[in-house]
Amino acid sequence: MNPKTLKYILKRLVLGVFTVWVVITLTFFIMHAVPGGPFLSEKAVSPAAQAAMEAKYGLDKPLMVQYTTYLTDVVQFRFGPSLKQRGRMVIDIITDGLSVSARLGIVAAVLALVFGVVLGSVAALRRNTILDRIIMIITTAFVSMPSFIMGSLLLVEFTINLQWFPANGATKGGLVLPIITLMLYPMSYITRLTRSSMLDVLGQDYIRTAKAKGVTGWKIIFGHALKNALIPVITYFGPMLAYIVTGSLVVEQIFAVPGIGRAFVQSIINRDYMLIMGTTIVLATLIVIMNLVSDILYKIVDPRINLE
Amino acid sequence: MKKFLAIVLAAAMTMSMVACGDSAKTGSDNSATGDAGAATTDTASVDANVLNVSIASEPASLDPALNSAVDGATMLVHLFSGLAKWEQKSDGTLELVADAATELPEGVVNEDGTVTYTYTLRDGMKWSDGQPVTANDFVFAWNRAASADLAADYGYMFEVVDGYDEVAAGEADSMNIEATDDKTIVVTLKNSVAYWNELLAFPTYFPVREDVVANESWATDPSTYVNNGPYTMTSWSHNSVITLTKNDNFVDAGTITMPEINFYLSDDANNMLTNFENGSWQMIDDVPTNEIAALKESYPTEFVVAGQLGTYYVCWNVNEDILPAGSGLSGKEAEDARAEIRNAVSLLFDRNYIVEEIGQAGQVPAASFVAMGLTDGDGSQFYENANGGKGGYYAVDKDSLQSNFDSAVETLKKYYTYDEASGKFTDFPSMTYLYNTSEGHKAIGEYLQSALAAIGINMQLENQEWNTFLETRKAGDYSIARNGWLADYNDPICFLDMWTTASGNNDVQFGKGAHEGVAAYSVDLTDLGYETKVENGTWAETYDVVIADIKSCTDNDTRYALMHKAEDLLMSTGCICPLYFYTDIYMIDDSVQGFFSNPLGYKYFMYTTIQ
Repeated sequence: MNPKTLKYILKRLVLGVFTVWVVITLTFFIMHAVPGGPFLSEKAVSPAAQAAMEAKYGLDKPLMVQYTTYLTDVVQFRFGPSLKQRGRMVIDIITDGLSVSARLGIVAAVLALVFGVVLGSVAALRRNTILDRIIMIITTAFVSMPSFIMGSLLLVEFTINLQWFPANGATKGGLVLPIITLMLYPMSYITRLTRSSMLDVLGQDYIRTAKAKGVTGWKIIFGHALKNALIPVITYFGPMLAYIVTGSLVVEQIFAVPGIGRAFVQSIINRDYMLIMGTTIVLATLIVIMNLVSDILYKIVDPRINLE
Repeated sequence: MKKFLAIVLAAAMTMSMVACGDSAKTGSDNSATGDAGAATTDTASVDANVLNVSIASEPASLDPALNSAVDGATMLVHLFSGLAKWEQKSDGTLELVADAATELPEGVVNEDGTVTYTYTLRDGMKWSDGQPVTANDFVFAWNRAASADLAADYGYMFEVVDGYDEVAAGEADSMNIEATDDKTIVVTLKNSVAYWNELLAFPTYFPVREDVVANESWATDPSTYVNNGPYTMTSWSHNSVITLTKNDNFVDAGTITMPEINFYLSDDANNMLTNFENGSWQMIDDVPTNEIAALKESYPTEFVVAGQLGTYYVCWNVNEDILPAGSGLSGKEAEDARAEIRNAVSLLFDRNYIVEEIGQAGQVPAASFVAMGLTDGDGSQFYENANGGKGGYYAVDKDSLQSNFDSAVETLKKYYTYDEASGKFTDFPSMTYLYNTSEGHKAIGEYLQSALAAIGINMQLENQEWNTFLETRKAGDYSIARNGWLADYNDPICFLDMWTTASGNNDVQFGKGAHEGVAAYSVDLTDLGYETKVENGTWAETYDVVIADIKSCTDNDTRYALMHKAEDLLMSTGCICPLYFYTDIYMIDDSVQGFFSNPLGYKYFMYTTIQ
């Protein structure tokens, strides 16, 4: 790797740490400003019990002290105990959730990428044929349909009517439908992106040269056109990740997948301060890293791009 | 390049297979559903040795002392054996019977009015790790649950035990309980308590072992979870499923018919219903509100409405001034007027419409605050004897609708300007009804709004997210709010002691703020042998005193009479407007036999079989 790229990556990493710090700070103070608290319940606990709990978790201290304590802990990767699920550590809850969500997200992203590129290339190569039209109609439909509607439709059809898959994400085969729900939108988007950029590339001189030299059909696509046609797709990598992370909040709820999205939503409802901070930090870090990866890939695919 | 494509495709397929395969592992390590092969057969096949149920989402804690939720209690009654338990008799009714104790003896009343109970543990009881259960485990568990250190939500369940106050304040380590030997527990209560046996069956009273709970996260993982009941926890996949397997070491293992229970953890009623409808789960404890009417039609035998000890009500902020501007009233006159107005407003609501058209789950229109199902001193229903035996504080039958309306309008005319032509009041101050965000609460709010609008009272609706709502309501930052209360045990006191001035659940703000100095209440207990007789006293001088008397009362009949007086006083304020008594709705597959639930909402699966 050349020193310039290395310097760029380092710079981005420092910026990333700064971004995460800003996220931590904002979340911390906004979270404490929201009414309610982790120990509120329909049946009030005694003031003595409430005070004991607050003292136990350091919530009785001034907010600034809590903030600095938390930052010091986080720097050492100590995310503390959950305030609501007593006896469990935030890091364990996150690891549990993330292992499920990552499986869901990575598979959905890879499938979206593979099918999207293939379908897009096919559509471009068979431009204006019936096949192209079908692909375009279907992908337009999927792009316009929000995941909660898609998820509900799949749920009704495949779990109640056909009974092919379980409705619960925690059972065997339970991740199939959530993965499909999650991948359809990015897949369709990538298909359309690939198709248009492929058409653009196919019209360029170097492709004509290749054709003149006798290269045909799929070889043109995969040998010459695809690499350049993929640049827009790669720029979509960051937004796709963001979509998958946020989309999983909804999809995990619909299919009862025990992922980090559900833990995140629950933590906010419960005012589980420690878990809110933990999940926010993990998700923010994830997005920062993925954006960086997306930029580096960009450079790899197109060396002309200057990372400065 | 074709090869490249093939490799990518193959990789993608493999990844998706791995993803789906692994999820089976996290989901059902021990369940038979995992063995059947293709997903198609999974959902349809039912194994008679495994019961799949879903009662709620991830429990906050399965430490018996820390649990304060009904779903947690359901799991705990399968995992632990306390001194007493609920059992279904052959005629279907429930009774409390001895469980870990050989019998439930009567208490011995001491000279100072305290009552001492002596229990003997059954022989052969073992913890799930093989160690014997001793009397000391109970003593330790009770002191721990009541302690200030643990700060358990339900620590106050021990307030009837002598010495609780010192332990709860952190001033002492042990209440007046003692293990005189390995098998004998001696416990002394402050005074005789009618519902003591019921408390013994309550999860907070279950035993735990000192060396086990020394590990603070003992109750979060099957490997460290040690219990003494009918089942052991064999797997807990957080946020997805808890598997309980029959405990062969349990003394009564012979009576337990269901070998394995999977508690699926779900907080989504729609998802629960889907799993029930496709046959994956045999019992679900929640259904989507807007599906209730359709489900009653399509599942006449599987959709169950059971009794529950709870009341859905509207509460007023006692400090909200609802008198018209320039009424000129103050002090007692003003408070009496407000009480009369609030009670009149309570008459305007058609409770039958609410339960039939909105609730739709067999709820019962409520005319008093202490819920249906709580028993009176003589074993009859407390609510039927409310208001001096009138069965309630208003008539809530359909025929009384018009007369209620007329009488409400007459009363309100005394204070507000009434426009005969339009049939509306013109100067009733505008109010805001606060509720927590939910379709059901919203529908009820809209009905109340329209009922009041019919006579010209303008009430806005405001909803808040649950946790915010709790704080707002507790702080008294509202004028009128949705409320609900479920009993912890079958004794009316749990509906009454929440309204004392110092109670953390005193959402109405009785005795707080401006109301602290309002001397508008009278109470006379002389007919019950007490010296208390207050004319025009404050809330603290009247209601708080009655509750204190109830808590120290040792005579059963007197105690219930006092509780009726407390409810009379409470209802006279008009701050509580009961709408209906809750019901517990759930769905259970016809193939499941031997299931029962108790009025507190605990579900018992251990004696079930699948036909």
